[in-house]
Amino acid sequence: MAEWNAYYRNEDDEEEQEEGEQSGEYKVTGRDSLVFLVDASKEMFIKEEDGKPSNFDMTMQVVRSVYTSKITSSYRDLVALVFYGTEQSKNPRNSFKHVYVYHDLDEPGAKRVQEVDELRGSKGAQLAAKTMGSGETSLGDALWCCANLYSDIKLRLSHKRLMIFTCRDDPHEGDSVKDRQGRTKASDLRDTGVIINLMHLMKPGGFDVSLYFRDIITPPEDESDLGLQLEPCAKLEDLQNRVRAKEKKKRVLNRLNLCLGEGINVAVGVYSTAVPARKPPPIKLYRETNEPVRSKTRVFHTQTGSLLLPSELKKAQVYGKKQIVMETDEVDSIKKFEDPGMFLIGFKPMEKLKLHHHVRPAVFLYPEEDDVKGSSCLFSALLKRCSERNMFALCRFTARRNYSPRFVALVPQEEESDEGKGQITPAGFNVIYLPFADDIRTLDAPQLPCASQEQVDKMKQIVTKLRFKYRSDAFENPAIQQHFRNLEALALDMVAPEDIEDLIMPKVDQIDTRLGPLVQEFKDLVYPANYNPETKPAAKRKTADNGGGAEKKPKVELPEDELRAHVQNSTLGKLTVPVLKDACKKFGVRTTGTKKQELIDALIAQLSS
Amino acid sequence: MTAKSALVLCMDVGFSMSNSAPGEEPPFELAKKVIQKFVQRQVFAETKDEMALVLFGTDSTKNPLEQDGQYQNITVHRNLMIPDFELLEEIANQIHPESQQADWLDALVVCMDLLKKQTEGKKYDRLVIVLLTDLCTQASPDELDIIIDNLKTAGITLQFFLPFPAGDDEEGGGDGDRGGSGHPGAGKGLSREQEQGLDMVKHVMLSLDEEDGLDEIYSFRNALEQLCMFKRIERRPTAWPCQLTIGSSLSIRIVGYKAVMDERLKKTWITVDAQTNKRDDVKRETVYCLDDDNETEVQKEDIIQGFRYGSDIVPFSKVDQDQMKYKHDGKCFAVLGFTKQSNIHRHQFIGNQVIKVFAPKDDEHAGVALSALIRALDELNMVAIVRYAYDRRCNPQVGAAFPCIKQHYECLMYIQLPFMEDLSHFTFPSLENKKFVPTEAQLSAVDSLIDSMMLVEKDESGEQKDMLKVHHIPNPAFQRHFQCLHHRAVNPGTPLPPMEPWLKAALERPEVISERCQAPLEEVKRKFPLTAVEKKKQLKTSAQIFGKDTGEPDAKKAKGDEEEEDYNLADIAEGSVTSVGSVDPARDFRTLVKLKSLPFGEVCQQLTHRIEQLLSNKNTHYYMKSITCIQAFREQSVKLGKADLYNSYLQSLKRSIPNRGLEVFWDLLVQDAVTLISKDEVEGSTVSKNEANQFLITDEKKEEVAAPTTEDTGDVDDLLDMM
Repeated sequence: MAEWNAYYRNEDDEEEQEEGEQSGEYKVTGRDSLVFLVDASKEMFIKEEDGKPSNFDMTMQVVRSVYTSKITSSYRDLVALVFYGTEQSKNPRNSFKHVYVYHDLDEPGAKRVQEVDELRGSKGAQLAAKTMGSGETSLGDALWCCANLYSDIKLRLSHKRLMIFTCRDDPHEGDSVKDRQGRTKASDLRDTGVIINLMHLMKPGGFDVSLYFRDIITPPEDESDLGLQLEPCAKLEDLQNRVRAKEKKKRVLNRLNLCLGEGINVAVGVYSTAVPARKPPPIKLYRETNEPVRSKTRVFHTQTGSLLLPSELKKAQVYGKKQIVMETDEVDSIKKFEDPGMFLIGFKPMEKLKLHHHVRPAVFLYPEEDDVKGSSCLFSALLKRCSERNMFALCRFTARRNYSPRFVALVPQEEESDEGKGQITPAGFNVIYLPFADDIRTLDAPQLPCASQEQVDKMKQIVTKLRFKYRSDAFENPAIQQHFRNLEALALDMVAPEDIEDLIMPKVDQIDTRLGPLVQEFKDLVYPANYNPETKPAAKRKTADNGGGAEKKPKVELPEDELRAHVQNSTLGKLTVPVLKDACKKFGVRTTGTKKQELIDALIAQLSS
Repeated sequence: MTAKSALVLCMDVGFSMSNSAPGEEPPFELAKKVIQKFVQRQVFAETKDEMALVLFGTDSTKNPLEQDGQYQNITVHRNLMIPDFELLEEIANQIHPESQQADWLDALVVCMDLLKKQTEGKKYDRLVIVLLTDLCTQASPDELDIIIDNLKTAGITLQFFLPFPAGDDEEGGGDGDRGGSGHPGAGKGLSREQEQGLDMVKHVMLSLDEEDGLDEIYSFRNALEQLCMFKRIERRPTAWPCQLTIGSSLSIRIVGYKAVMDERLKKTWITVDAQTNKRDDVKRETVYCLDDDNETEVQKEDIIQGFRYGSDIVPFSKVDQDQMKYKHDGKCFAVLGFTKQSNIHRHQFIGNQVIKVFAPKDDEHAGVALSALIRALDELNMVAIVRYAYDRRCNPQVGAAFPCIKQHYECLMYIQLPFMEDLSHFTFPSLENKKFVPTEAQLSAVDSLIDSMMLVEKDESGEQKDMLKVHHIPNPAFQRHFQCLHHRAVNPGTPLPPMEPWLKAALERPEVISERCQAPLEEVKRKFPLTAVEKKKQLKTSAQIFGKDTGEPDAKKAKGDEEEEDYNLADIAEGSVTSVGSVDPARDFRTLVKLKSLPFGEVCQQLTHRIEQLLSNKNTHYYMKSITCIQAFREQSVKLGKADLYNSYLQSLKRSIPNRGLEVFWDLLVQDAVTLISKDEVEGSTVSKNEANQFLITDEKKEEVAAPTTEDTGDVDDLLDMM
């Protein structure tokens, strides 16, 4: 059996590699984990007067959305939900009072989503009061309990994050012993690499982070006060954004050097910020038990049946009827040009970057001070000057080993912040992939008349009526959403999947009402009375063909002697199928098939006799 | 069926072709190289184009027109067919300089005849005859006009490849010196025949195409330079007819074409048996098995499909999936609304293509309507946000249609935009950090670097010149791929060649730039100190890289992932534990002792420090934790046979109990019978077994004795100093 495994080869080697290049797979070195530590004190349940949801309700909505987004995008991440300040206690060894582990660290699943749903709204508040209640608070115990959750996990965790949701800035109300325990435990957690964030919520009189939580949370990366300046979240949307920004770990695709010249290497990290999300691949299951099966592929010799070692295999391609064979390592070596890295070629003004020079999604570049000291400074200087002078840097970019180089444009992006609420865009270079000559196709553009200013102006009115502010996160992918709703329905034994809203469907009725008579006015300006753009182009062509149809399909009649000559020289293959068919008809050859070779064979049989 | 072209290569192999000046390659060799390169490109481009080969000046005669001593010394070497390696081999091995001469116009006629006969009944969009000759033979111009007429009616394009440049004011080539040496084919100067021939060639070419006729006359050298790169991948654009809709009642007929597309090689490698080189000798079999100890095999029929929903696996058959999946009305290009161009961020473009959208070429009304939209968007600086679906089988996308107005045409350019699911919002620390903000001097060093490396410059006439248009460079991966394939096909058994020098050069900085930027680069180097940080972690990453280096497929790794993730002490030991932490001090202690990276004494000191910290929180949890630490301390000490540190710590700890009010803790320690290490356990111990037992039992009595000695035990720091 062991041997068997050793010969395991992957079927789709090449394909996967290509895929990898496209989507930039991450090296998996462990799982990400996230613990929601939620305050369950009475204050959290206070409803706003204006019907806004309570802090607790808002938190549950956010937790739910993180659960579902983890399921769709990174189901292998571990998530836990822990309440503190509860009356009841529930934790693995029941050694902590007033800490209620609602979900321990595990992959989120359908059931958990449901269970979080149960905590939402006023019913949720009732349920929470019934099962957990509100009681004493000891943040130290709560954090310790969370620490145990982490240490109970037998998997390697690559990223550990803990988010505290609370609206109380002084949780222990002056109990210095508890305060100290909390601080000690928080520092213990941080020592083990857990990043502690505070999602502080609205509190009458304002939330004072410096009162206590400043000592609890992980200081922000750049040591500025970014994390503390933040206002408490009043709106669900804000909270969601804030959580979303923190929830995912920035994963670096790879770290490499941006080489300006001999010995001038700036260490940079490459991040991907927009990667097409895909439906996850299906898993093969054993019908009887629904347990996943493993697939094993082996390669053996057709004649002898013996297993073939990789060294007993070669790679080949056929060109011009010739099979060209290479060793497997030669195939790899062909792909290799240079070691991974970025090499500065020069600079160009921004207007030289053509909009249509787009071949794949961009990636983002940020300096890695930890790899080469001084990188940030030089990077920042380049960024500043490129940005001010409206330039981009042209580089040659080899993303990975055995990847061929691509030219890329490093487009400067300056940091943008949203009045103290957080970063909108970070400072760094966007890396735009540029096409090679092979990627650009030659098109014959049709020569057509242009619109008059009157026509253009009418269209301008239409355009203006349908203006909206585009936001890149406004559209969900209906295909993926539907897929997951279906799975959800199956997983939870629901009668039917929840309906999805297809956000990329044009809102035709609204558009029509907004435009009103404009559409007809425009059509009157550009289309003649009898013109109907709805008719299928194919139908249109047919009418056009009535006149010149004969020209298009020339009936090629082949003289008999020529046909015989073809039979003799066995060059029948040069003729087209319609011509051959015609010939068959002419010579009364009955054919059963319509394949070219069948026609030829039939003709030869008839004519060479 | 896609249109293709038919091409006749017509090469002069007559005796004058092998004449050359000393040190120069004879025209024959150059012409042969041109043909070889040309055919190679065709073979690797795998076009449907067909090719024939006609030789003239051959010793023998073989052509359909030979009769009564006419069309002598002309051989149709190969009829019109798709070029392959056989043809390449024939060119390499069977084409030699021969000793006759033939009229190149006769050869041209043979080629025309061949084209006419062999293309009959088939559709070609281009008929081409390529003549390679030194024009040294006297050609009879009698029928020149008839030939030209025939070429015109047949729609045949002519191309000439000559050993010398054709134009009087030829700039390139270098071998165009007109002299009077009169020596035929000598490379310098042209003979009378050649002069006459050239005049005839020009006459023919200009008759066929008044304006650009002479552009189709090439010199061998020029051609070779241009042919050195493999053909770029060309795909015939396929039309995608659809309707652009705005609301329910406004639609415009459109046709979309892919204009830019991340092109990949069409062919993938097949696996063959190393001995026989046959694909059929290798069979691949996939079996499925349960993940149990026996790896029980499961039949294919017993396998169903499922999907992951977080931690759940949901069985979901293909049929059900198809039935329940998101469905839509198929092909569409529907406007959702319009937005300012500035709302669209270039770095958020997604997908790997750009589609240009025109109106159908036979529909001028659609042309006007689309033009109105394009111009309106252009004037307002806006774009259309559209729902785009290629057809029913493809999932719909959201994208932006940009207006694009060129001198000769107008169109919309569609580029896909991300869905919410596709985006990751990362925050990065601000670079406006005091530590990183560059000084004025540093900024000016960067400025002069940028100045020296500008790739776009105005020339004397004030026109902008781009020194490096990367979209004119062929994809080096394809070039290299074909170069190696070609080499292997032609020279089997020899190692792969190095990269072509021109290809290497094409990927480098233009020479002007690299010279100009030397000094500014030095300045940048001086102004910005850069020091690589040595990392312990490097070891791990390089191990990962090496893992990849062995050619191990990625997927295998993914499968082994699960095992890898299992908690592994060795992994921790690899570098993550460097001191005794507070979360699990006992585990850290064990690991560190095992690692031996720190002296035992120091590790013990760290541990006792943690124990003291734990004990300062008077809480049962902390007490329990302290006890596990002490147990670990004891266990490791016994293992290493070093009892002193442990014993003295425990003794001093005991002494400090009353002072610190740790009686509860001591009781727990007694319960767990954690006592001193005796001689029986570790030889070097100064404590007898009895004493060890007494240590806990005689607790109360000792306490009395211990009481007076508080002065030397009270302080935690003193305890630690003993270590």
